Amino acid sequence: MHQATCSQCGLTTTVRSFYSMGGKNYCEPCVWKAAREAREAGQPSEYTPLQDNSICQRCGSYSGDNADHPIVGNLALCSTCAATISNWPYPHWLKVSLAVLLLLLVVALVHGRRYFHAGRAMYIGERLVEEQQYEQALPYLKETLTIAPDSDKAVLLTAKAALEIGDMGTADKAIQGHSGGHFDDADDHDFQEVKALWDRANAAFEKAAEAAKLEQQDGHAAEAAQLKHQAAELYPQGRGLAGLAETFDEGSAFEAKDYNLYLSNAQKAWEQYPSAGTAAAYSGALACKYAVEGDASYRQQSEWMLEVARLKIGSDRSQMKAFQLFAERIRHRLESRQIISQEEYDRRFRRQAAQ
Amino acid sequence: MFFIPGPVIAMLTFPGVIVHEAAHLFFCKLFKLQVYEVCFLRFGNPTGYVLHEKTQDFTASFFVSMGPFFGNTLLCIVFCSAAFLPVWELRVADPLAYFFYWLGLSIGMHAVPSTGDLSNLWEVAPLKAKRGNLLAIISLPLIAVLYVLNFARVVWADLGFGIAVGVLGPIALFRALARA
Repeated sequence: MHQATCSQCGLTTTVRSFYSMGGKNYCEPCVWKAAREAREAGQPSEYTPLQDNSICQRCGSYSGDNADHPIVGNLALCSTCAATISNWPYPHWLKVSLAVLLLLLVVALVHGRRYFHAGRAMYIGERLVEEQQYEQALPYLKETLTIAPDSDKAVLLTAKAALEIGDMGTADKAIQGHSGGHFDDADDHDFQEVKALWDRANAAFEKAAEAAKLEQQDGHAAEAAQLKHQAAELYPQGRGLAGLAETFDEGSAFEAKDYNLYLSNAQKAWEQYPSAGTAAAYSGALACKYAVEGDASYRQQSEWMLEVARLKIGSDRSQMKAFQLFAERIRHRLESRQIISQEEYDRRFRRQAAQ
Repeated sequence: MFFIPGPVIAMLTFPGVIVHEAAHLFFCKLFKLQVYEVCFLRFGNPTGYVLHEKTQDFTASFFVSMGPFFGNTLLCIVFCSAAFLPVWELRVADPLAYFFYWLGLSIGMHAVPSTGDLSNLWEVAPLKAKRGNLLAIISLPLIAVLYVLNFARVVWADLGFGIAVGVLGPIALFRALARA
């Protein structure tokens, strides 16, 4: 190790315990004194430790009395340390960790693929709902629910889209599939919106059911029609509610003996919603016209529509049974040219037969 | 607000500390700076460090100091994106997704450079900016914001940054993809 001598007290020892100030070497006690005196005199008082270039600044290895370590940057370093700091190696464990991290990244992306798919479908569905394209949004949202039935957002969007197109079944299925219809945040705006829509739809269908009961009783057709219209207004998106309201208008016209209006409403309903029910109702209205006017073409059309209704029912036994009771009354109307209500028909013929 | 010692947080989120220091080392090597000492993780303050030579090259200084900010933020977005949908949007109880969220947030939490890193840049950035160095001009507001964020660590700003990146990043990403 190199030696140095203090310029103040003459102490000679290893370079590493000396300091340099103003171009002179000092031992530690002397440098403090010299620095204090310099400060008091208003002169520069900074001092720096002397560097022994025979000692590696990083690992402390000694190069021998006659050779110094090379200076790298401003440090004397042995060849091993010089090579290390010039090109610091990545530790092996870090390389392994990086490989594991990359592997995890791949796993994360592969594992998350079905979630990406479901999420993308949900965002597309959300955008379509925002654009009020509910019919188009529903398939995307249903796809999301197959992976995430507990997602508040997906469920509420699905329910909203379904309710907006009058598909109560899908809305109900989505809501019930979410923890039996339980949502944590009842104050959430989307939840409140769907709840309001759901309540409105339910109220409308309750009114429709009440109207259907009233329709079975003679003299309540107008009241039933009114209820049906209220239901249709309450939930205009409801599938068939508007159409059903029109069919109830037929009942109201029948009760008022306005057979022209009855026929016109029944024809309109058949054209808009061609089904066994509207075909049968149209047949009944044509039979009324025949009974009143005796025009054989009405009778012919009525019998034809009755046949259409029968064909539309197909193999549905319960519907067929109800249809046969209805057809029997219409045939009586065509044969006798007497217009009597169902209740009156039952009183005259069916109860008698039962007795 | 509750207090948890920094080293404890660092141990709970150790992947972020290692990635942070590895990013410093990577940019030091990229710009051929001499590295004197590296500590990737330890139970103390600081929890990791890279001692390297000073350089007059602002670009090198910028990337060595800010490298972890960009690297950690990017990795945070990627891992959190893989976990964001099942955890936040789809509410699927998937343990692997929660693991990826922890990993992403741990990395994101340690994205903010230390005050030491920022000080090095702050010393030279104004002068370089005056001389028209574009990177220095751009870096000034970024350094200022990160300084504030660094001091706000006592109120969990680093965790806040991680969550913001890990939640808002994927939201922006997926919404953009859905519109594409």
